[in-house]
Amino acid sequence: MIEGLLVMGGLGAILGLGLAIASKVFYVYVDPRIEAVEELLPGANCGGCGYPGCSANAEAIVKGESSPSSCVAASQEVIQQIAEIVGAKLELKEPEVAKPNCKYGVYEADRKYIYDGVRDCRAAILINGGEKECPIGCLGLGTCVKACPFGALSIGPDRLPVVNTEKCTGCGTCERVCPKGIIKLSSNSLAIVHEYTTDECTAPCQRACPAGIDIPAYIRAIREGDYAEALIIIKRSNPFPAVCGRICVHPCEYACRRNLIDEPVAINPLKRFVTDWEREKGMHVQVPRAPEREERIAVIGGGVEGLSAAYLLNRLGYNTKVHEATSKLGGLLWIGLPENRLPREVIEWDIKGILEAGVQVELNKMLGKDISVGSLFKEGYNAVLIATGGWDMKLYLSELVPDGFNPLPGVYLLIDLVRRKEIPIGSNCLIIGGGRSSLEAAKICKERGAKNVYILFRSSKQDSPIREEDLEKGVSVLFQTALTKMMGRDDKLEQVEVCEITEEGKEKEGSRRNIEIDTVIVGAGRFPELIYVRKDENSWETISPYAGPNVEQEVGIFRPGEAISDYKAAVEAIGSGRRMAASLYNYFRGLPVEPPSNMIRKDTEVLDVREVVNVRPVPRVKMAERSKDELINNPSLEISLGYTESEAREEAKRCLQCGLICYRKEKLN
Amino acid sequence: MDSYIVLIISCIFINNILLMQYLGNCPFLGVSKRMDTAFGMSMAVVFVIVMAGAVTWVVNYYILKPYDLEYLRTLSFILVIASLVQLVEMFLKKNIPALYAGLGIYLPLITTNCAVLGVCLINMKEEYDFLHTLVSSLSYSVGYGLALILFAAIRERILLARVPKPLQDTSIGLVTAGMFSLAFFGFKGMIH
Repeated sequence: MIEGLLVMGGLGAILGLGLAIASKVFYVYVDPRIEAVEELLPGANCGGCGYPGCSANAEAIVKGESSPSSCVAASQEVIQQIAEIVGAKLELKEPEVAKPNCKYGVYEADRKYIYDGVRDCRAAILINGGEKECPIGCLGLGTCVKACPFGALSIGPDRLPVVNTEKCTGCGTCERVCPKGIIKLSSNSLAIVHEYTTDECTAPCQRACPAGIDIPAYIRAIREGDYAEALIIIKRSNPFPAVCGRICVHPCEYACRRNLIDEPVAINPLKRFVTDWEREKGMHVQVPRAPEREERIAVIGGGVEGLSAAYLLNRLGYNTKVHEATSKLGGLLWIGLPENRLPREVIEWDIKGILEAGVQVELNKMLGKDISVGSLFKEGYNAVLIATGGWDMKLYLSELVPDGFNPLPGVYLLIDLVRRKEIPIGSNCLIIGGGRSSLEAAKICKERGAKNVYILFRSSKQDSPIREEDLEKGVSVLFQTALTKMMGRDDKLEQVEVCEITEEGKEKEGSRRNIEIDTVIVGAGRFPELIYVRKDENSWETISPYAGPNVEQEVGIFRPGEAISDYKAAVEAIGSGRRMAASLYNYFRGLPVEPPSNMIRKDTEVLDVREVVNVRPVPRVKMAERSKDELINNPSLEISLGYTESEAREEAKRCLQCGLICYRKEKLN
Repeated sequence: MDSYIVLIISCIFINNILLMQYLGNCPFLGVSKRMDTAFGMSMAVVFVIVMAGAVTWVVNYYILKPYDLEYLRTLSFILVIASLVQLVEMFLKKNIPALYAGLGIYLPLITTNCAVLGVCLINMKEEYDFLHTLVSSLSYSVGYGLALILFAAIRERILLARVPKPLQDTSIGLVTAGMFSLAFFGFKGMIH
C-alpha cells in the first residue's frame, strides 16, 4: 500500500519536475504578438491572404512581410486591432466579392450530352470539357460551394452559383477551385480596368462598345427597375452617359443579336432614359470610390477623354486634377454638335457629375505655356496624363498657341518643322514616320545644327519610301523599329528607348536599347495619349497607355493610327480615357502596362450564333419627338424626347440577355 | 527470426489495432477526411507508440515489477505516456523544428490516445522481451497507419459520391469503417 503511494507519487513528482526543467531547457522564444494576431484572425485557413494558413499569415504580419489588412475575411475592427498589435500603418482595402460569370444554367443552355457522373465540376470537365456546348459555361455541380470556407455560395434552382454578398469575404478560394475559371473576384476598381477576354461570357453588344460598357447588365437593371444600379454599371466605363445617350454612334446596336429577327434593342436610348431619370431626381449617381491612394495625378486636357480618365482615376482612389487650356470644360462637345441633338444643359450635367465626384479643375492653364511636365512634377504630381485631343482641337486652339509652342518636353510635330516655325533643334534628333517628308525634316534638322539625325520606320527597308541615295551624311534610318519610351529630366528630353518589331508587328525580344536623343519630330497630326511618370526627384519617363481592341499596331508610342483614341466619336475618346486610367492603375500596382493577352480584339474569333430561334419578333419602342410646329418656332429645342418609364421597361424586356451562344429563349408552343 | 515475422504479420494485419481491436477510433474518424492529415497522423502515431512501448517496458520491469505493483500498470502508463509526449514535443520544437512542423499538431492529439496505451498494455500482457516489445509496437503502429491511410483514401472518394442526406459525413464513415473491419476479418486464420 505504502509502496504503491510512494511509487506513483514519486513517479509523478519526477516526471513533473522533468517536464518543468525540460520546458526551460527546450524553451523557444515565440513573439507573443504572433499568438495574439493569430487569435484575432478568423482561423478559416482560406488562403485568401496568399499564405498557407492563418498562423503563417500571423507570423508574416508580425514580421512585417504581410499587411494587417491582408486577411480578406477579417472585419474592419479586427484589422484595426491587428494593426494596433503590430503597430503598423493601416492601408485600406477595397472589398471584393466573388462574381460568377455565366448567365444560363445547364437546363437552359445547349448541351452536348447529359452528364450523370461524379458530382464535381473537376470530374465533369474531364469528359470533353463538360456537358455544355459553350466551352466556358458553368457546369453547376457546386465545386465552388463545397470549397467556400465561409458558406457564402449556393447553387440556385437554375444550377448556377449564387453568391451571398453578405457572407462573401473575397478570399478567392472559389476562383482557385473552379476548373473553368467562371467565378472571379470583382470590385468597382476591377470592373473599371476590365477588358473583355476570350475566356469570359460576353454579349456581341458589349464587345462592340468602344468604351466597353457591360450593356446586358445595365439593361437587366433597367428591366428590374434598379436605375441607380444601371447608372453605376454605365459610369464604371463611361462617365458621360447623358451625352452619349444622345449622340453616341452606337456600334452596339449594329451588333445586337435581335438584328437577326427584327430590330436591335434601343441600347442607347435606354442609356439616355436612366440619365433622364437621374436628372429628374436632381442627384448624380456615383460609382463607389476605392479607398484613398497616395498618388496625385495631373490630367492635361479637359475634354471628354481627359475628364473620363480623371473621373475613373478618382474612382480608383487617386487624387486627380484636370488642367484645361480654355475657360471651359468639355472640349469639342460644345463645338461639334448641334443644340437640338445635344442640349447644352446635358453637357453641363455630366461635367457637374464628374466634378461632384471630387475631380479638381484648373482652367486657363495650357501645357507648354502656363505649365509644363517639369513644373507639374515639381508641384508634387506622380504622373501627368496627356489627353490634349485631336488635330481639330489643335486648330480650335490655334489662336491661343504661340509660335514654336511645344507642350511635351522635346517633342514636336513634323508639320510645324517643315512650315519653318521656330522650333529649337538639339544635337540629336529622332524623326518618326512621315514618309518621304521625313527626309526634308532631316535636312532642316541638319541645317539647324543637329549632329545626329535618326529616322524611325516601322516598315521594312523594301516597303519604305526611302532609298539609300536620298540620305545625307549623318542621317541614319532605323527600319522595323518603334519608339517605346522617352526619358528625361525637368523639361528636357534626354534619352529614348527603341525596340525592333517583327513582321507580325510584335516586339522582337531583347532588342530594346537606349539612344541619346533630345528632339523628337513626329510625323503625325496630333500628339498621342501619353503618360509621364516621375521616377525620382526631377527625372521622368513615359509609359504608353495600352491600346484598345481595334488597334492594329501595339508596340511603342507614336504608332500608326497615332493615338489610342480615334477621331470618330466621343465614345472612342471615353474608351481611351478609361484605358489611360487602367494603364496608370496597372503601373502604380507594379503590373505590366498591357491588356490581358487574351483580350478580344477586332480579329479574334469568338463563339457566336448565326440564327436566333424561339424568340417572338417584337417591334422596337419608338421614341417620342417634339412637334414640327414647336421646332419651327424654336429650332434649338431638343428633337427627341426620350422614353417614359413604362416605355423604357417595355424596351428593356426586348433584350435577349445574350451570352456567347446563349440567349433568352421563349416557350413559343 | 520466425517469431518476429509472425509477430509483424499478426500485429499489422490479423490483430490490426484499429480494425480488429477497435482501439483509437476517434482519430480514425476525425483525421481521415484528407490524405495529407491522415499521413501526418500516421507518422506521429508510429513515432509515439514505438517510444511509449520502450519506456513503458522499462517502467514495468524496473519499477513496478520489483515492488509487486503491477496492479498500478494502467495508471502509471497513462502518466508516463502523457509526460513522454509532452517532452518529445518540446524537444522537437527546439531541436528539429522541421519535424515539429510536420508532426507538431498531431502529437498532443495522441497524448491520451487509447491505441497508444492499448499497445503498451498488450505488450505487457504478452510478456514480450524488450526487442519483441519494440517490434510489436512498430508493427501495431504501422498497422494503424495503414488502416488510417486506406480509410482516408476511401473517404476522399466518398466525398464525390451522392450520399443521402441522413447518412452524410460521420454516418457513412462509420458504415464504411464497419465494412472495412469485416474485410480485415479475412486475415483471420492466416497464421495458426
